[in-house]
Amino acid sequence: MFVWGITFGLMGRDAGLSALESTLMSALVYSGTAQAATVGGFAAGAGILAGMATVLMLNARYLLYGASLRPWLGECGPAQAYATLCFLGDANWAMATKANAEGERDAAFIFGSGVSMYLPWIAGTLSGAIAGNWIADPRTLGIDFLLVAFCAAMAMDLFKSRADLAPALTAALVAALLDRLAPSGWTLVAAGLAGGLAAWLRHKDVP
Amino acid sequence: MTLRTELLPLLLALTLASFACRAGGFWLMRFVIVTPRLRATLAAAPLAVMIGIVTPAALRGGLAEIVGLAATFAAMRLWRSDLLAMFVGVAAVALARAIQL
Repeated sequence: MFVWGITFGLMGRDAGLSALESTLMSALVYSGTAQAATVGGFAAGAGILAGMATVLMLNARYLLYGASLRPWLGECGPAQAYATLCFLGDANWAMATKANAEGERDAAFIFGSGVSMYLPWIAGTLSGAIAGNWIADPRTLGIDFLLVAFCAAMAMDLFKSRADLAPALTAALVAALLDRLAPSGWTLVAAGLAGGLAAWLRHKDVP
Repeated sequence: MTLRTELLPLLLALTLASFACRAGGFWLMRFVIVTPRLRATLAAAPLAVMIGIVTPAALRGGLAEIVGLAATFAAMRLWRSDLLAMFVGVAAVALARAIQL
């Protein structure tokens, strides 16, 4: 998480965010993919609505995580439950789900694993953003390519089965067309919606 | 260390959107059932957004960017590590630019 944080610090720097702005964003939004995408949109001149739509789509998976934690986390009070959800992330959700399957019943485990991911993420962002200040020419080092490389690697991570092919191709087509016609921060929003729609249409309920 | 005030509404909006997703699933479970179809739709969106970022960059990029993307894909295939693949891609772009590709 620390290294990921550094990476985002460098991306933020490349998009013109100050170290404080990047760190604050990491502390508040706390989602690597969503932050990377909105920072990319920000650099392309996207507005608040496009940014929000991007975050909603990228973090839609948290809806599923939260839903799956309901039986377990629902046992503690709402204040504790929602405080725990503030620190919900991919890694700690996976860890907690595994622990629960192995017999862990204490919901504090979700909170603890969440915070232990959160803190290195913040520290990493600050380090990366400060280190970015010392880099004279980010282009020479390929830092401006960091966002694209990150998204390409993430896309391959997320591509799990043949069912992902149709949404992926739809998204690529929509992005390519819109980028030609009207390049803006909305391109990736449209690609995300088109991909989701493709998955919806292609889904076959397995009996 | 500066904080631009015009950035604060954006930051606040993104924070709200992010928290809505974190808390929303837990909260909504009181009212809706997550069907496999809905699950597939929500799961496909992140992949599609990532592709929505990569595609324009690939179309606009020069040879160096294409080399970088190819290196990222190859490294991902080889080692299945997103972090490593990302750095290989960036290093490939830096190298390609250094030799004026």
